[in-house]
Amino acid sequence: MRSPFAYTPRNRPLQAASPGAAVAYLGALLVVAFLYSNPLVLVAAGAAAAVAGRLAGARGAVRAALWMGLTLALLIVLVNALVVDRGETVLMRLGDWPWLGRVDITLESLVAGAVIGLRALVAILVFAVYSACVDPDRVLRALRPLAGRSALTATLVSRLVPVAAADAARLRDAAALRGPGAAAVGRAALARRLLAGSLDRSVDVAATLELRGYSLEAPRARRQRRRSRYDRRFHLVGAVVLAAAIAGKVAGADELHTYPTVEVGLSAATLAVSAVVAASGLAPLRRRSRRRARAAARPGRSVPTLEAGGV
Amino acid sequence: MSELAIRRGAPPALAIEGLGYAYPHAERPALQEVSLTVAPGEFTLLAGRSASGKSTLLKAACGLVPHFHGGEVEGSVAVAGLDALAAGPGELAAAVGYVAQDPETQVVSTTVASELELPLEMRGDAPADRARAVEEVALALAIPHLLERAVDTLSGGELQRVALAAALVTRPRLVLLDEPTSQLDPVAGDELIWLLRRLNEEWGVAVLLAEHRLERCLAAADRVVAMADGRIGFDGAPAEFLGWAQGVDPALETPAARLFSLAGLEPLPVGVRAARRALDSAGAQPPIETGAKVAYGATNAPPPPSGANVRDGRANAPITPVPHPGKVRGPRSRPPDPTIFSANALWVERERGDETVDVLRGIDLTIRRGERVALMGRNGAGKSTLFRAAAGLLEPVAGKVEAPAGIALLTQNPGDYLVRERVADELPGPAGAAALAAVGLEHAADADPRDLSGGERQRLALAIALAGRMEGDQLPGLVALDEPTRGMDRGRKDDLVGLICRLVGGGAGVVVATHDVEFAAAFASRVVLLGDGVVIADGAAADVLSGGWYFATEVARVLDLPGIVTPEQGAAALLSPEADR
Repeated sequence: MRSPFAYTPRNRPLQAASPGAAVAYLGALLVVAFLYSNPLVLVAAGAAAAVAGRLAGARGAVRAALWMGLTLALLIVLVNALVVDRGETVLMRLGDWPWLGRVDITLESLVAGAVIGLRALVAILVFAVYSACVDPDRVLRALRPLAGRSALTATLVSRLVPVAAADAARLRDAAALRGPGAAAVGRAALARRLLAGSLDRSVDVAATLELRGYSLEAPRARRQRRRSRYDRRFHLVGAVVLAAAIAGKVAGADELHTYPTVEVGLSAATLAVSAVVAASGLAPLRRRSRRRARAAARPGRSVPTLEAGGV
Repeated sequence: MSELAIRRGAPPALAIEGLGYAYPHAERPALQEVSLTVAPGEFTLLAGRSASGKSTLLKAACGLVPHFHGGEVEGSVAVAGLDALAAGPGELAAAVGYVAQDPETQVVSTTVASELELPLEMRGDAPADRARAVEEVALALAIPHLLERAVDTLSGGELQRVALAAALVTRPRLVLLDEPTSQLDPVAGDELIWLLRRLNEEWGVAVLLAEHRLERCLAAADRVVAMADGRIGFDGAPAEFLGWAQGVDPALETPAARLFSLAGLEPLPVGVRAARRALDSAGAQPPIETGAKVAYGATNAPPPPSGANVRDGRANAPITPVPHPGKVRGPRSRPPDPTIFSANALWVERERGDETVDVLRGIDLTIRRGERVALMGRNGAGKSTLFRAAAGLLEPVAGKVEAPAGIALLTQNPGDYLVRERVADELPGPAGAAALAAVGLEHAADADPRDLSGGERQRLALAIALAGRMEGDQLPGLVALDEPTRGMDRGRKDDLVGLICRLVGGGAGVVVATHDVEFAAAFASRVVLLGDGVVIADGAAADVLSGGWYFATEVARVLDLPGIVTPEQGAAALLSPEADR
């Protein structure tokens, strides 16, 4: 079974963009998540990442990231509420706990935990969309001139992960198929066997890389890739988000105080930054050509496609 | 160098002179005094038993030996004029492509298009040149529809094609293939061989192909090189090779050659077409009646067909009766009933890429004790899924699957079962000892599994699956083997047929999923053919394996007689009195 976070090639703008453009766009959302604590801006960044993922066809990755992120966020809220006793609005008094001492659940500690959890959720969403929509091969090849050995190691690892996952599944099956009279196989023995097998596998994969000429130093000029027509859009949106975030930060858009009482700023600057960040989620939207849109509006007429022999 | 080499000054695609090589810490050399020249545009078949040095020779030709594996080397290797012992595999990549046996470790990129583009990019080709080369190789190998697919969503056959495309995308002068058809069904295997031949003819690529199933590719080859113990035992034309194999190593004979050999006919044919032509020109018409009239295993062989070119004494010599496994009867201490496996309206679905597909679609199948069943079908037809459902690894979405007397399943990689360093540690106690005895490995209790031969490791893995599922020395009802002959030479396949007979003799039913029609003909009493998740043929092995084209033995394709699938049956048919009339 494939991981929902595995890269899947799709004919969508985010996948077609060059790695630099995609990283600039998604990186801007990540910067917002770490730059801001205001929940409204964080929600806007999370919404933007989720919408971008959906528009890029990574529905499974977004769903899995939401599930993981919300679970983690709840855990953070819970732990923060138990270990932080600051805040004036006490919601529950839970008495003395071993190691923790006196535990009071305050509204402020819940909100502070929720902000941290929300930030973690946004980061997970952004990484999930990146993982599912940005071709790791292109990223690694872009990095190769800058850090050849690191790129080689990363390439080897990125290929070994699915191979090792398949090997592990096979080993688990073989363990389940052992007769009841055979020696039982524990997790440690399986892990040892998997490790030994992975070493052999890594040799095979490394041999293949060698045969593909990975050790050769290619002329730099010829490595230039053609840019995607979406590159400018993603660079532009990333730059706008980053500029708005920095300007907003300077203008006080990130107003939030959690202790001793919760104060959430909802100034015009906050609303503006949130609106810009949220709207950036539409960047991967594929715009239909006018001709195609007109044809779709007129029933009974279709636009020839390449598959159908059109030009 | 053959006539094909005369290409006005072009250096040979491969020139090896006095090559000797030993892997690091190896007790004996893998290659000794190997001298071989492959001309540009030549299609050379590399034959030989397991561990005869075929794979090492291929690795030496692409630079992996000694650059990647280390070890001691002597002699010289030149690929398209490049010194392979001085240049590494990366430098040689433009001149030679290499496709290994396991396609899973031969792809290093996320998508097919990236995989094909990688060697060109590493070489520094311009984007436009890369795009054209990728498009052309994809078209040549009929995989343009796969270009945008993620490699981890491809089937084994698709991966093998992608690996071949990646090896060919740089337009190398020489392509090396190490048993590329071992994981392919007969249809895909034949397609791959003829694709190689077409690329060889149209692109002028020299091909050096190591293969065990010689009947698949002998007719496509210009030349055969046979390895034995790290040396070249034979180097010559395919027809001459058959004569050499007959005298020196009969395990390398093709079924059609063995048919002619047993029937005392000459010349030995290199393929189905040659065999048919030889029979036509010799006027040797096998009886048109059905196989029921064939004097199977006849000891008093009649005179040879008139007009046949018969070697002295061969045709009049009695054919040694070869007992078909169908005639083998072992001790049957259990009552005869019985159904040991049943699937009723069985539906199983699995995830493939982003979607869920029905792999088994309403299968009805019953297997009884004492049956030897070959489960066949194309890659992805549902064979392994049926086994996994029977063993409880997969839950059916509808229908029922039962193996009331127990099932021992050996999956495609026996090594997956071996996790300890001593055989007896894998199989402790009386149950373990009984399982070892059932597979004839009781003598190896103290051995390290890694020191066992490939066939013995397979037996040990089977013993691990059997342990504790036996009542005393009685085997479980069903023993299932999934693709057990991958990478096996004929000697090991014969050993496996012996093991299957032994298991059936012990009271089990045996079902083997296999792509190897010759092996199926050798062991099976019944063949079940799956197609797209449904049973499309189910009958006696002799009937199913003689009634088609792809899922038919070479002898069946030569003689086209119902019920005649093995060389022994075919020879008996040719030598029967009806053949004379």
